[in-house]
Amino acid sequence: MSNEIEEQELPGIGRRYRLAGRDGGSAVVVIHHSGRRDLYVMAPDADAPQATLTLTDRQARTLGAVLSGAYFTPAVVEEMEAVIGDILIDWVTLRPDSPGADRSIAELEVRRRTRMTVVAVARDAGTIIAPEPTEVLRAGDRLVVVGRREDLASFTRHVIGAASG
Amino acid sequence: MGETLVAVGGAFLASGLLARLGRRIGLPTIPFFMVAGILFGPATPGLVLVEDPEDLELLAALGLVLLLFHLGLEFSLDDLIGGGRKLLGAGAVYLVLNVGGGLALGFGLGWGTREAFVIAGAVGISSSAIVTKLLVELRRLANPESRLILGIIVVEDIFLALYLAILQPVLGESEGLGEAGLEFGRAFAFLLLLAAIARWGARWVGKLVDASDDELLTVCFVGVALLAAGVAEEVGVSDAIGAFMAGLILAESAAHDRIERLVLPLRDAFAALFFFAFGLTIDPGDVGSVALPVAIAVVVSLLLNLAAGILVARMHDYRRGPAANVGLTILGRGEFSLILATLAAAAGLDDRIGPFVAGYVLVLALAGPLLASRSAAIAHWIPPRLVGETASAARA
Repeated sequence: MSNEIEEQELPGIGRRYRLAGRDGGSAVVVIHHSGRRDLYVMAPDADAPQATLTLTDRQARTLGAVLSGAYFTPAVVEEMEAVIGDILIDWVTLRPDSPGADRSIAELEVRRRTRMTVVAVARDAGTIIAPEPTEVLRAGDRLVVVGRREDLASFTRHVIGAASG
Repeated sequence: MGETLVAVGGAFLASGLLARLGRRIGLPTIPFFMVAGILFGPATPGLVLVEDPEDLELLAALGLVLLLFHLGLEFSLDDLIGGGRKLLGAGAVYLVLNVGGGLALGFGLGWGTREAFVIAGAVGISSSAIVTKLLVELRRLANPESRLILGIIVVEDIFLALYLAILQPVLGESEGLGEAGLEFGRAFAFLLLLAAIARWGARWVGKLVDASDDELLTVCFVGVALLAAGVAEEVGVSDAIGAFMAGLILAESAAHDRIERLVLPLRDAFAALFFFAFGLTIDPGDVGSVALPVAIAVVVSLLLNLAAGILVARMHDYRRGPAANVGLTILGRGEFSLILATLAAAAGLDDRIGPFVAGYVLVLALAGPLLASRSAAIAHWIPPRLVGETASAARA
């Protein structure tokens, strides 16, 4: 579990997850043993929730998919991934210290070494769909890659480098 | 046979329909099952579904066994250990105040020593079912103090198990110290045996009942629960603790999750009948004659619950709101108080205990949810300095 979320057992009921929002409030999700979900919105420093919502297991999954951007992805999202069957589509950003910065796709041997394919490069100067192997990648480029989920880690290691910080 | 079926069917339906009315206005079900028993029992005019409470004895016992079996099944020391020392501390504070207060009240009533021990538990131990449901319905599961409330309930459940284990020898009418010691020893040995099975043999018992289809699993675990309860009763510990230990044993088995799911409908149905059967034994006139003790007990519980809420809030740096929430939510009394009253009746204790507990549970079961839902207003009556809140912070 990521350290942004606080997880607690509620004896006799289920589990409780708390995610701190940006305004000091928080969203609390209670998953009952029965599958029922309760969603609470807490104002900063309040004793009682501002809003509550009860969802069935199915509704909760749908809401989760909406929140994760499965239906609509805002342009500001820098890195996201979607999995369709066993195909993974991911969006990653090159940093100045990435091993792939200032090298061409051919030089990096992306397809042979990581079994993933760069299908588009989005940069401020314009988006390149299906880039040529000779295309030189630059820091700040957003790459759309396609492949198998299990190959994403080697691609990230090879082209993007270890996450900083 | 037809007559019996009409009685049992009527008991189920009367309980269910009356409790439905209560649910509409947000009240817990347990007191309504009991009231159905009172209304359709021999002590009140009008339709009498069951003339003799003993006619329902076996079915009611099933309810008691399944209630305790489920409690044992859900029982988890991990919950307690995971909560840490603070949780244990909160539970201990609650129990010392309320069971201690109940014991003092029991002695104060002067009905007898054994009676006082029963009253201590009946007045001191909250209803897991009512408290848990109340938290869900008042939409307070996200509040920080709600986890504490559930933790206190877990501690209370552990206490209940220990209390039930020692209660039966205390209730038994043994002649002299020697016989009492013998009885106590036998009960203790049996519990030790069950505990050993839970610790080392749970896997084998689990294998025995763990059929891959739900039908056979249900048949087998009901057998284990009833058998353990029956043998427990035979060796002089209560059937309640036997059923609890059976649940504890199966909690360790691989089939735990499935049993937990399968036992719920059975428990709900037969527990309703247990509460109904308890109601049958109650004459409203007798409740009237213990009105004063009931009123005193209600006031004592209310004050001690608020005191416990305030103390627990101090331990956790909570303000007045959460303090009132803790105290008023845990006020709910229900299944355990009624189980204890049943055990007392079976042991032949003072027959004022039944009506006393009935009246007490009824008042608190109705007043508890009302008070808990208005806890924000009640919190303002708590002097701020009691929870370490400064006057200015309280105004803010």
